[in-house]
Amino acid sequence: MSQTTSADGLPGLEERAQRGPVLRKGIGVAPSGWFDPRGRAIGSWAFAANRITGLGLVFYLYLHLGVLSILLVGKSGWNDFVALATNIVFLGLDVLLLFGVLFHGLNGVRVALVGTGIVPDRQKALFWAFSVIGTLTLAYGAFRILGRA
Amino acid sequence: MQTATDQAAAGAAEATETRRFRVFRYKRGDKAPHFDTFDVPIESRTTLLDAMKWIQLHRDASLMLRHSCYHASCGTCGVRVNGREVLLCVTAVHDLGLEITVEPVANIPVLTDLVVDMEEFYARFPDQHPYVRESEFNAAASTPDGIAAYVRYEDCIECGLCLSACPIPATTDRYVGPAALAAAQRMLEEPRGADVADLLDWADEPDGVWRCHAAFECSEACPSNVNPAARIMALRGALVGGALVIPDRVEEMR
Amino acid sequence: MSTTAPAHILIVGGGGTGGALAHDLTLRGLKVTLVDRGEVTSGTTGRHHGLLHSGARYAVGDKESAVECIEENMILRRICPGSFEENDGLFVAIDDEDMEYLEPFLKGCAESGIPTQQLTPSEALALEPNLNPELKAAVRIPDGTMDAMRMPLRFFATAKHNGAKIHPYAEVKDLIVHDRVVSGAVVHDHVTGKDGQLRADIVVNATGPWSERIASMAGVDVPIRPSPGVLLALRGRLCNMVINRLHKSGDGDIVVPQRGLSVVGTSSWTVENPDDLGVPEDHVQRMYDEGAKLIPAVKRVEFRAAWSAARPLIGSRGDEDTGRELSRTFKTFDHKDSDGVEGFVTITGGKGTTLRGMAELCANVICGKLGVEAECRTRETVLLPHTAYYSAA
Repeated sequence: MSQTTSADGLPGLEERAQRGPVLRKGIGVAPSGWFDPRGRAIGSWAFAANRITGLGLVFYLYLHLGVLSILLVGKSGWNDFVALATNIVFLGLDVLLLFGVLFHGLNGVRVALVGTGIVPDRQKALFWAFSVIGTLTLAYGAFRILGRA
Repeated sequence: MQTATDQAAAGAAEATETRRFRVFRYKRGDKAPHFDTFDVPIESRTTLLDAMKWIQLHRDASLMLRHSCYHASCGTCGVRVNGREVLLCVTAVHDLGLEITVEPVANIPVLTDLVVDMEEFYARFPDQHPYVRESEFNAAASTPDGIAAYVRYEDCIECGLCLSACPIPATTDRYVGPAALAAAQRMLEEPRGADVADLLDWADEPDGVWRCHAAFECSEACPSNVNPAARIMALRGALVGGALVIPDRVEEMR
Repeated sequence: MSTTAPAHILIVGGGGTGGALAHDLTLRGLKVTLVDRGEVTSGTTGRHHGLLHSGARYAVGDKESAVECIEENMILRRICPGSFEENDGLFVAIDDEDMEYLEPFLKGCAESGIPTQQLTPSEALALEPNLNPELKAAVRIPDGTMDAMRMPLRFFATAKHNGAKIHPYAEVKDLIVHDRVVSGAVVHDHVTGKDGQLRADIVVNATGPWSERIASMAGVDVPIRPSPGVLLALRGRLCNMVINRLHKSGDGDIVVPQRGLSVVGTSSWTVENPDDLGVPEDHVQRMYDEGAKLIPAVKRVEFRAAWSAARPLIGSRGDEDTGRELSRTFKTFDHKDSDGVEGFVTITGGKGTTLRGMAELCANVICGKLGVEAECRTRETVLLPHTAYYSAA
């Protein structure tokens, strides 16, 4: 029978076979963006905030060690620092620190409970429950801290 | 919740408006992708898929998109609209705002325009792919002679929206992803005669369950009640020594 | 052993028919290329409600279709194991007029080889608690549910892994015709934006409701009437069995479960342009009204989707307007016989369930034309899983 085979072919077969561009979450023509806040739910915000507070706490740790090293200098240096530490701005930052500790700690408990399959299906409920606990604790803490000004 | 009466009312109040669509365009050989803008007439019932097909028919026949079933069963029409993962066929245009950006899903290579090449999505799955499950609906109903139990398809429609919504693939493409892990959990939950001996080991990899960092976007994006996040956590529960916890099943219809 | 290269068949149209044909011809040793302007099954095939047809709907009025359906139903269960919800189906009588249909229905099914089992209302309600409690009788038949895209995808997967070239997003712009011989097609690749030519010994038109468009490129006519119907998907799995109304074909007389949804169908009208079907609002309302007669909960549950799909019905233009009167059987047109054009064959008509049978018929015609002696092996060949379509051949 006929010996015709398809001498011509589909144009661009090789191009089809190549791996195309992979878009990532972001705004605009990818892959320009990396963080896209559109359409995100509470789980993502907690995920992002956990990382930000984590970085903040690491930064604070180094800051704290740096502060403690003032002790090596002697009494006068330390007394100057204590005077600074009762300044209202400084106390405000302490409240911010408390927020970071509470968020990171409570969200960490949430992630542990969900992430080890103890309560696998209650992540939103846990977030709101811990938000209430955290807010109340923060409010009380802020009251006590700022009272020292 | 739209019922029959709501539908009738919506039909009666048809108004023709126009919405502006910014649609992602990419043909092989292009230096870079770009966006094309189209003004599309819509009605109260118009879906994104209707709008894209209108563009194809009346403005630009070269606009490529995937679609098949038109009712959220085949999972082929997944895209990102204004940054959110949705299925074109069941998303009404009416509630979306005046300017609507349509892009392909993230984390899977783009073939052309809104079409992604699903090979890398499917390559992530374990060798065995659950497909039919026991029907949880009307467990109390009797079944006809010769039928041991009613069966139904697994919920997952393999749309890839979960993989697109997940933040982890931006860090590593080796993460197997929510769909594959959810499929593994379903097989362990209901083996149906398959050999599942290695499945927990398969999941117990750095790029398996442990790569998940609890953003939960996958369950948020899933259009088909799979709840992959909870299933990933159930796998982790099993791996840390607990039982394979089974998330709540969907409520029976009354 | 012959030294001639195998003949090359170009299949235009990536619906269930094209996929099943690609599979059949590949098994017979032919070289196959398939093109579709969009994703495979993106035409009519993917859009139907997913009924694995027992043929019972045609048992009284269209025995040829009924027999085709029940035979293919049984074959599909063998070659696509694990691809169906094999829960059977019910034909349910709601009023006295339905009851008059019961006897001819049972007789028609028996004559067509469709097994039936008559049930009392309470037996039916025990199997399907959401049925209309006023039902008068029910008959159980071997319906099933398929995933309208994934079942045909198994044919594509197997064909691809056996050497067929499947090219979605490649649109036939014109056929290459000289002296009434079709020798290939001009194809526009939508992935690259480039044009090219595909030469073939035979071009097959498997484009369903778009058959006329492709046929006219060869200068021939095919008697295809695109006949759409509306379908309605609702949130909630209202039944496990397929629920049908026990009467002659009518609107909204079937409810098919699809995962966590229920699909109510369908209606019927005819159009000229299969790309522009529309979704008539009164048809959607009819789905609610008629569907609720079978399962009252249809009116209480949440809306998911409403869409149209065009049946490719065989009949000449000028037939009745609704399209229901046309046969649901299938046909292969060898255009050499009907129009004097060589190298061009159209396969059309049919139903989702009969894809394999349609392909066998068409492949027989094609092999006959080419003088290729190869038997059909699709009745016994178990297909690869649908996921194999996405892995490299």
